[in-house]
Amino acid sequence: MCAINARKEVAFNRSFGAIVRTELQSGIPVKVIYTPEDIKNLQYKQDIGDPGEYPYTRGIYPEMYRNRLWIKSFIVCYSTAEDTNKAFKDYIASGQTGLRLLADLPTQSGIDPDHPLAWNSMMCGGVPTYSLNVYEKMLGGLPIENVDYELAHSSISSALFFYSMFPALMEKKGLNIANLRGANINDPFRSRIVYDTPDWRDEINRRVCLDLIEFSAHNTPKWKAFAPNGVDPQQTGANVFQEVAEVLGSAMAIYQDIIKERRLKLDDIGTTVVSMDAESDFFETIAKFRAVRRMWARIAKEKLGATTERAMSLRIGIRTSGISLQTQKPLNNAARVTLQILSCVLGGVNSLDASSIDEAIGLPSTEARHFNIDAQHIITHEANVPLVADPLGGSYYVEWLTNTIEEGAYKLLEKIEGRGGMWECLKSGWLRGQIEESRLKVQKEKSEGKRLIVGVNAFQGEEGSINRAIERTAYKVPSKKARLQTIASIKKLRKNRNQQQVKEALKDLYRATKEGRNIVRPTIEAAKAYATIGEIVGVVRIAYGYKYDPLAAIETPPFIKELIREVNQ
Amino acid sequence: MVRHKKKIRIIIAKVGCDIHERGALTLMHAFRNAGMEVIYTGRYQTPEGVVKTAIQEDADIIALSDSTGSMLHIATAVLEALKKEGVSDIHVVAGGLIPRRDIPILEKMGVTGNFGPGTPLEKIIDHIVRLCSF
Repeated sequence: MCAINARKEVAFNRSFGAIVRTELQSGIPVKVIYTPEDIKNLQYKQDIGDPGEYPYTRGIYPEMYRNRLWIKSFIVCYSTAEDTNKAFKDYIASGQTGLRLLADLPTQSGIDPDHPLAWNSMMCGGVPTYSLNVYEKMLGGLPIENVDYELAHSSISSALFFYSMFPALMEKKGLNIANLRGANINDPFRSRIVYDTPDWRDEINRRVCLDLIEFSAHNTPKWKAFAPNGVDPQQTGANVFQEVAEVLGSAMAIYQDIIKERRLKLDDIGTTVVSMDAESDFFETIAKFRAVRRMWARIAKEKLGATTERAMSLRIGIRTSGISLQTQKPLNNAARVTLQILSCVLGGVNSLDASSIDEAIGLPSTEARHFNIDAQHIITHEANVPLVADPLGGSYYVEWLTNTIEEGAYKLLEKIEGRGGMWECLKSGWLRGQIEESRLKVQKEKSEGKRLIVGVNAFQGEEGSINRAIERTAYKVPSKKARLQTIASIKKLRKNRNQQQVKEALKDLYRATKEGRNIVRPTIEAAKAYATIGEIVGVVRIAYGYKYDPLAAIETPPFIKELIREVNQ
Repeated sequence: MVRHKKKIRIIIAKVGCDIHERGALTLMHAFRNAGMEVIYTGRYQTPEGVVKTAIQEDADIIALSDSTGSMLHIATAVLEALKKEGVSDIHVVAGGLIPRRDIPILEKMGVTGNFGPGTPLEKIIDHIVRLCSF
């Protein structure tokens, strides 16, 4: 073999690839060994408990995965409704059990495809779901009742719009909206800190977030209308303490408002769902899930007046880290994703969206998605991991780490409270500043070689045909032609829909917004009339005294001007 | 390496609705630490707006960041706007998730760099310094 002869000599280094750091990803220093001494204050009944028992450190169900495996869920959202619909059907056949939806970036920003700023990101990251007609196409032939849908949108306006389209669709088909299952994120802190979405200001976001929780509690009780999100803050740079504090801080702030302003109790809401991140740091990730469940149980009971088991238990939905995946040697991402999935199962999560090996290159290809599902089947059926609940419970190290994360997160929550609470910390920019600080620390460590990323700043090696094939198969962004077709389709919709019906529905939305009524029902009716996301966002903005277009690039459409004039006459 | 006499002025811009900001923020700090004057436009910008900012700020370089795979669309629009304003002497560099097949097209248009994630910061800084020393 000529490859062997090519190198005459090779330098041998016995310590090649040795450990370069003794801290976890979030900077927690760790010792070589943990002993009973490190957890001597821990009381089993009080602090850990069996699965299904307060404080739920070991999981929220007594039987855990024997009774119900985690939901295998992931975002399916390609550039067109047709591609997305086809992919959903294909994945369901392979074992996908949770349907996670998203939209393209302009839609999530609150603008329509024919807005001048939409062009450059149109159909990127998802379907331009500007109106119910696209939703109908995207979900065509898929069951709506008693399926777990999850809405992952960035902005509050898209949480409202995409939630509302479900009841709109169901009522049109004669289905009972009480059978709607699933969750949406609807976290106004995440919308501002991570995305700074232009659609609405914080005052509108706060009000609509509460409207959605209230409406859902009364009308779609199996739907979780608020799922505070730590995934995206962590992807932006937050460390484990910041992620946990932000998720729980957001939950506390919103529920305190709900209890005070909407006459609901946490018991009425039941189980809370949070979306969290699974990072490459294996034990830190596992301990985080255990810590956040215990913290929530105590907060719900002691601070928010929960009395039922359900209201004290926290369901954890995961998206594994996208930022940990690399474009260099993408095959290595299979190892990263597998370890992240394993940490989720060992940590007792309830729903899992695993990023795919080609995700650093483009949207996931079908085959990469099948790998994600199969990896979960292998962990279940070949590795036998989920047979025993919380298998790492009682490990000196994992219990110590769970305590350490809990303590750090509580300290941060106290700091937030000392600074006037979550809303105040959002307004002052303090929350974002904290994340920024962590991000810069990580960046510095990477460039100084104190944090090694395989294939990127260490062990570069060479890419061969498998890696290149992964690069080639990732889903590509749509062409100019496809984008032009989308613009043509929204123009056609505006021309063909019943304009009088749209006008009446938007009038009611405008009135409800101004009068302080819950705006979810008017949004459902507007969706039924095929009002677009841009129109709904704009009408609410006008009711609050802002200009129609959040990006100040277009004028208020004449028919909107007219309907507002008619209401105010 | 030729030393640049005056401070390099660089605009980091995100055009469209791409929300992925981490790369832009990372470069903002890296360029500043390298002694450049950096202006970051923030997200949700128009091509025309970016060019206007570049003119107002007397920038040497516009650095476009995008993680949606749409750099070709974005760069085309920015170059058009530069031409329209008669300031085609402003260099345009790009980075983010850029499809491999688009890179030669971008290079031909005069958009250089085209750096992917994980590129060593020194390599990017070096590219900018060289570009400005001609």
